[in-house]
Amino acid sequence: MNSQAEHARAQDLERRIRVYEEMEKGEQWPGALSSADYIAITLMTLALVVGFYLWGY
Amino acid sequence: MAKHDIDHGLEAERGDTPLLPTERMWGFWEFTYANSALAIATWAFLIGGATALFVGSREGIAAIVIGNILGVLLATFSTCVPCGKYGTEQFTFLRSMFGSNGSRLVYVLAVVFLTMGWLAVLGLMFGRSIDGLSGLVSAHQTDPNGWLVLASGTFAIVLTAIVVAKGPTSIKVFNTIVAPALVVIMGVMLYLILSQHSFAELMALPALDAPFDDKRVNFMIAVEVNMAAGFSWWPYIGNLARLSKNQRTAFWPNVIGIFAAAALGEVVGLLAAAALGNSDPTVWMTHIGGIVFGVIALGFVAFANVTSMINILYTSIVGLRQLAGKKLRDMSWTLLVALFCVVPALIVCFAPGIYDGFFIFLVWTSALNSALAGIGIADYFFLRRQRMNLRHLYAAEAQSPYRYWKGFNPIALTALVIGFGAYVLVFNPQTLANTTLFTFVTASLPSCLLAGITHYGLTRVLAQRLGWGAYPSRHAGTTRTLDLDSRSYSND
Repeated sequence: MNSQAEHARAQDLERRIRVYEEMEKGEQWPGALSSADYIAITLMTLALVVGFYLWGY
Repeated sequence: MAKHDIDHGLEAERGDTPLLPTERMWGFWEFTYANSALAIATWAFLIGGATALFVGSREGIAAIVIGNILGVLLATFSTCVPCGKYGTEQFTFLRSMFGSNGSRLVYVLAVVFLTMGWLAVLGLMFGRSIDGLSGLVSAHQTDPNGWLVLASGTFAIVLTAIVVAKGPTSIKVFNTIVAPALVVIMGVMLYLILSQHSFAELMALPALDAPFDDKRVNFMIAVEVNMAAGFSWWPYIGNLARLSKNQRTAFWPNVIGIFAAAALGEVVGLLAAAALGNSDPTVWMTHIGGIVFGVIALGFVAFANVTSMINILYTSIVGLRQLAGKKLRDMSWTLLVALFCVVPALIVCFAPGIYDGFFIFLVWTSALNSALAGIGIADYFFLRRQRMNLRHLYAAEAQSPYRYWKGFNPIALTALVIGFGAYVLVFNPQTLANTTLFTFVTASLPSCLLAGITHYGLTRVLAQRLGWGAYPSRHAGTTRTLDLDSRSYSND
């Protein structure tokens, strides 16, 4: 029974990996962080660090 | 249902296989609530109070914002971004850079010891809040190590175990109720402090106990304490992020939850400590909020510790299942949760003194977490260019390119030791001894950077020659793949 369960787990894992491999083949990864996100993160961080440093120190 | 019929979705949720996008339960707001519930606890007020020791209120607010945003972002990039993309369990993902045994070692260092310590500390925070509440509504004399604190602390651990045993759905319900209420209560606390003192008065308050004459050193210690708080989420947030629907919802809620909500709690603690003489709301809330609001607010603050405990316990148990593969996977989820809670409960009952070392304990964790974040960013963003090969990650150890040397990647472990060593050389959390470099760039940033550069450089020079890690060559577009099928998988 254990090996049956292990086999079922391995098959399920294979199915999951294939889903991600299919996604990897696509042009766009659904919901991935875009360059706009990275620019926004950088600007937000700079604004917070520089702004609060100048205001507080 | 036959015994061997397995609910694979549930297994993935509570285990190490990658969660599919359709199985992930948290949208933007659900993950924001989870994050906020994790961040807001008595520890936020205490970190704010610790900041008030080193600097005045104005500098303290600046230190809280600067330290937290940098720590949170670096921790998030190295965990939430990859785990949110592939739905992988955080410590299984870590095999790609540390090897399977190396990942187990990091789990033991960063999760087993730390989480058991944090569960005990948070349990004691809950216990002290209940003790404080009891003192308010009766003639009970509070005692920080009394029977009520220890009994309440143990109760908090048992309650946490019960909620986590029911799985992420119950955690989601708990977070959705408690997190918004906590944010509102913190807003009211801030309002109450501002109603007692003008903003200008508060901003002019000096440091309570500045350790150095040099204002710059005191400011950088305050930034470092808050950066340690930001980095302290590293062991936990990857396994929460994998439950969110995609990479963007795995990232942005961190900015609201473990950055903004935590910063709000710390600012409340800072101002309360500076203006009212104590950062712990159990001491000052009723004086300015009245008995009714004070009791309600303190009840929520007490339970805020439990929501934090729930979130860190869930992520730790999910990670635990990759530690010993089949053996732990076959053990029931409820039993694993119960066994993990035994040591924290014993610490609460027999070593409650751990609470008093909270602040130094927090800063020490940053020596480890900052180096881990640097290695993670170097590996995932710069060496693997944000592409993981899941077949390699789940391959049997003998066939996996992530076997490195006997399951350990000596390169990543060397980088970890160098990062940790750099931190302690630049700033000693025990004695506060520091170097000139510290007064410009803190200790966490050079530790993170040096660990990342070491990992990147040694991997480029050595890993390809030794056939380790299946890293793409500098000019190649994709990772090398192995011809593995389902029979080759193992997470033993």
